[in-house]
Amino acid sequence: MSKVVIYSTPTCAYCKLAKQYFEENKVEYEEKNVFEDLKAREEMVTKSQQMGVPVIDIDGQIIIGFNKPEIESALGK
Amino acid sequence: MQYDLVIIGGGPAGTAAAVYAARKRMKAAIITETFGGQSVVSDDIQNWIGDGHISGVELAQKFEKHIKEYKEHLDIFEGSKVKNAEKIDGGFKVQTEDSKEYEAKTIFMAAGSRRRRLGIPGEDKYDGKGVAFCSTCDAPLFQGKDVAVIGGGNAGLEAAVDLLSYANKIYLMEKTDTLRGDKSTQEKIKGQDKVELIMHASAKEVVGEQFVTGLKYSDKDDAEQLLQVSGVFVEIGAVPNSDILSGLVKTNERGEIIVDHKTQQSSAEGIWAAGDVTDVLYKQNNISAGDAVKAILNIQEYLQKS
Repeated sequence: MSKVVIYSTPTCAYCKLAKQYFEENKVEYEEKNVFEDLKAREEMVTKSQQMGVPVIDIDGQIIIGFNKPEIESALGK
Repeated sequence: MQYDLVIIGGGPAGTAAAVYAARKRMKAAIITETFGGQSVVSDDIQNWIGDGHISGVELAQKFEKHIKEYKEHLDIFEGSKVKNAEKIDGGFKVQTEDSKEYEAKTIFMAAGSRRRRLGIPGEDKYDGKGVAFCSTCDAPLFQGKDVAVIGGGNAGLEAAVDLLSYANKIYLMEKTDTLRGDKSTQEKIKGQDKVELIMHASAKEVVGEQFVTGLKYSDKDDAEQLLQVSGVFVEIGAVPNSDILSGLVKTNERGEIIVDHKTQQSSAEGIWAAGDVTDVLYKQNNISAGDAVKAILNIQEYLQKS
């Protein structure tokens, strides 16, 4: 099973869509709120070299934004 | 194989078109990157008829669910973006960015619009590295920072309001001498110490290292100024996504597809359009959905005659 981490903010619509997608497809994920969690924010910026949310880490593969085809290919679907 | 109809876009117009086309049992396909359209980033939509309050995300999910109820009578190509269309014998060929091709007798175009960019040095380089196009999404990341918002229309004012809870200082920059946004939104930022209005300001360059550190602009006397900011929110309107059909349909000076507002037909036989990609006077979800229905009913008549 893939290890999935989503970096999000509470106000971000595409983060909600991404989480909804994981739930519908029974993909377990860890959520890091980069608004409250400064350490997570730094981690996200280091991994993605940018500041926009969501950033999704699937087994080390970094996807910026809610890009469904990229997510599916990273999950091996 | 040839479809009767290819629908481009999954916002309110594309969704309404898909539902009507499937119910009419047209041989139809819908191609869209995502569902929901531009209001997906809205927290609380209060004017979508039938829902007093609905978030953009919920609306997107309802669109998707509604379309997928007809999946037996409609081909749904999601996650795919149309690159261009060309005229072929008896119809059109539509190509996507992931190199797929679809042929159809008619096209219903509802690709909406995208955010207008400044077109200044540094904007692309620092996109996502301080240059932001979605204030509701990204405002929290600018907690305690100084930021610039470019554009004194409704979108710019709303971005400033979104940033009020987070940013340390907000420079709201407008090219002309007046703010154009709604008075009620203007009132929310007036008298806020952290908001500073800069009128007659024209953005020239986004500067930075790994991330944005400043914005150069020319002031009312044409003198160059440098603002020390770590965020630049660009809120200067929209550009219609009509380039997909360039060379096929007539557009106005803003790039909007000119349609017959009775039928939604474009200048090209076989191509209809609705929503923000057209020269419709009011860009509204409800209008886009209604105009799409007009188009599908007219397309049906056209297909029966041909």
